[in-house]
Amino acid sequence: MAKCIAIVEDEAAIRENYVAAFTREGYRVDAYEARQPALEAFAARLPDLVVIDVNLKDDVEGGFELCRDLRSRAADLPIIFLTARDSEFDAVSGLRLGADDYLTKDISLPHLMARIAALFRRTDALSKPQSTENRISRGDLDIDTDRMSISWQDQSVGLTLTEFWLVYAMARYPGHVKNRQQLMDAAQAVLDDNTITSHIKRIRRKFVAIDEKFDAIETVYGMGYRWLSE
Amino acid sequence: MTLKRQLLFVSLLTLMLPWAGCEFIRETELALRDSQQQMLAGTAQAFADSLSQYREEFPERAESSYRVDDSLYGHPLETTPSIDGYFDDWPLDESSLRSLTSGDDPIDIVTGIAGEFLYLFVAVKDKNVVYADPGSMVRNAGSQHADRVTLVSSNPPYLEEQFSFAAEAPGAVVAILLSDPDFPPEPAIRSYWQDVPGGYQLEARIPRSLLGTHLGVIIGNTSDAADPITSFTSSTPGTFVTTSTELAEIASAVVQPGMRLIVTDAAGWRIATVGNLRTQSMSNATTVSNWRRFAYNALIEPGKEPALADPDPLGREQQPYVEAALDGRRLAAWFRSTESGRAVVAVAEPITSSNEMIGAVIVQQETDAILTLTNRGLASLMSVTLITMFVVAAILLGYATFLSRRVRHLSLAAEEALDSNRLQVDLPSSSSGDEIGDLSRSFGFVLGQLGDYNEYLRTLASKLSHELRTPLAIVTSSLDNLEHENLSETAIGYTKRAKDGADRLRKILRAMSEASRVEELMKNAELEKFDLATVVESTVTAYRDVYADREFSFEHDGASFPASGSPELLIQMLDKLVDNAVSFSTSGDEIEIALSLVNRETSLSVSNPGPPLPERMRTQMFDSMVSMRPHTDNKHLGLGLYVAKLIADGHDGRIRADNVEGGVRFTVLLPVL
Repeated sequence: MAKCIAIVEDEAAIRENYVAAFTREGYRVDAYEARQPALEAFAARLPDLVVIDVNLKDDVEGGFELCRDLRSRAADLPIIFLTARDSEFDAVSGLRLGADDYLTKDISLPHLMARIAALFRRTDALSKPQSTENRISRGDLDIDTDRMSISWQDQSVGLTLTEFWLVYAMARYPGHVKNRQQLMDAAQAVLDDNTITSHIKRIRRKFVAIDEKFDAIETVYGMGYRWLSE
Repeated sequence: MTLKRQLLFVSLLTLMLPWAGCEFIRETELALRDSQQQMLAGTAQAFADSLSQYREEFPERAESSYRVDDSLYGHPLETTPSIDGYFDDWPLDESSLRSLTSGDDPIDIVTGIAGEFLYLFVAVKDKNVVYADPGSMVRNAGSQHADRVTLVSSNPPYLEEQFSFAAEAPGAVVAILLSDPDFPPEPAIRSYWQDVPGGYQLEARIPRSLLGTHLGVIIGNTSDAADPITSFTSSTPGTFVTTSTELAEIASAVVQPGMRLIVTDAAGWRIATVGNLRTQSMSNATTVSNWRRFAYNALIEPGKEPALADPDPLGREQQPYVEAALDGRRLAAWFRSTESGRAVVAVAEPITSSNEMIGAVIVQQETDAILTLTNRGLASLMSVTLITMFVVAAILLGYATFLSRRVRHLSLAAEEALDSNRLQVDLPSSSSGDEIGDLSRSFGFVLGQLGDYNEYLRTLASKLSHELRTPLAIVTSSLDNLEHENLSETAIGYTKRAKDGADRLRKILRAMSEASRVEELMKNAELEKFDLATVVESTVTAYRDVYADREFSFEHDGASFPASGSPELLIQMLDKLVDNAVSFSTSGDEIEIALSLVNRETSLSVSNPGPPLPERMRTQMFDSMVSMRPHTDNKHLGLGLYVAKLIADGHDGRIRADNVEGGVRFTVLLPVL
């Protein structure tokens, strides 16, 4: 049975384009243009993945409200913010509400598709018993590539999809400097320098929350970042 | 010309004050003089009227026999001169000597009256004095060949008498009555012949009882016995004018202190003089300081020398105003000394008796009152004017200083606001109601507008990028979908081009939003402490890879440069500067990056060879959306240096651009920890 994607977007042209693209990939798509109709539909049946625009017509923060609502009802439901708002503050707000990813609208469709597919893979993996095949261990770091989850000192680190890909790209070959372009490619996104810097900062903060002495990500000034294994 | 100088210039207008004061004083003086003249004229007229009854006191003149020039004037002598042939002991001035040029040599003659005697003094220039033969005089007085002085007296219509004075030798001379040479010498007549170099002098005393109303003098000059030449004062004796004691008595009843009264006959001969101009108070005013004298001369209408108002030493008043009076008109005169400021008002009034003019009254008064008033007026005018001028100049100067200080403060504040980019400021004087207040408010308004505009420009990029993102998403997602349709070969080409275009548009939008992202990051950045030298060094290494066709050099003195902030942002700033340096240099150029300590600040500089910066862009080039690149290059929106400046500012630093020899240097100055 095809996965069901719900898209809440007030801009008709974008909505139609995404509906067409998702349909082509074989997903079932429900499109809503405002928060209220979407909430009513979700009350009846939850979709498998939700793509939400933050700014819904006059409902300036309608997307955030919707996300909070959904997250309270389904803890594992993948939620992606897709918005024109690119400020750091909005991104942090969205991710704090439990979104799995926060993307700006200039992301290309193939990149978006890759993320959606990855999120579905993770959902699928979560429902299967944990296997040991697709695990990478680097000292205190454990990466489960199926579930796209990372743990540090046996504690799970709650990373978004983008963050996971960044850590995975660095930790796969410890000691190798990954420059910004390589990190961008790994994250399936076009990001500017400042966005990568912000991501790295956020990742570090999440690790430090578990282990105050965390310093495995090194900044190589002017080049990029690398993972240090002890 | 500064405001201060302009107002100082304007203050020169206060010089009008002394001018106006002078005009006033001049007017006052004229009015006073006028009234004094009126008063004197009144006195003179009354006196002249009263004198018309005393016609007998005026010399009687038959029309035919009266000739002015022939008249001899009998000066009243206060002391009796001794008869010695010298003029020294006469109580008269040398100027009283009347010069006559009748004949070949000039003679000086003066007659005076003291008591019952007529005194005669004659000085004759004669190179060859011929003395009479001793003893011959008595026998042959009329035709004797000798130099002589003859006094002719007549009492028309009676015959005349001639008294001849000829000397046998210098010394006392015996006068001979020519009509009767044998008449025994009158003992009352005394005379003395004195030889002087170039001539002789004769002094004689004759009782007035022997003389008539008309007198003349004949100088007989002979060079040898055969050729007598005579020179006469005139062909017939003229009126002998003497002063009248009665008139003097009448006049002295009228005269007042400081006033002089002169009565003349119809020819101007003075027959009575009473009073004196000089009073006690006047003598004090004779010494006048130089500057006051200058002021007098500049201010007061100059008059004739007051000495001219004094009685004529020859006895005949010939001043124009006297002559006018003798002509029947009344005229006033004005004498003033430029030396002492002494001023004399004189009025002459004709005396008429039974329609015949018999003489004139001259009244003179020294204008003590006017002088004092003028003096006092001048002094106070000068002091008041000087004080006023200084006060006005000082006030104007102070006011100008105050004004120009306000204007300067305003302009400084406006410049500072412009420089610091804090445009919503309260400018000085903005609450005052005058024009400077208006100016300040206008300035404030303009600055505010500029601030709004700058703010608009600053946010324009991020607003634009935000607003354009949704339409761009429509375009890109449509194109992505289009790729999955069955397209012809050409349509695929178009799609690809459209995607490239959209991609470029996206890059531009990213660049445009970069500034606002940097600002945001700056706000949230956690301060890190790091060594700037290490960071820059590793970054420069990266640049060598990225820009392979440029040489990079990194200079620093090896010390560590501890810095606080965000190394990522500082690198981003360095990226912008290096990107700028690369695009303005050419392949193979060396870009120098240097780190040093300058005046307790860390200086990070990037220099590149290339064209110099246009001067007018020096301050604007760090503003948002200002690009120095030629317009054909539209990949750059002019945000790079703006971002660099934002980062420098965010680290409490400064950024500046300078032209150096053969290139450009951008310098970031950061505070030392």
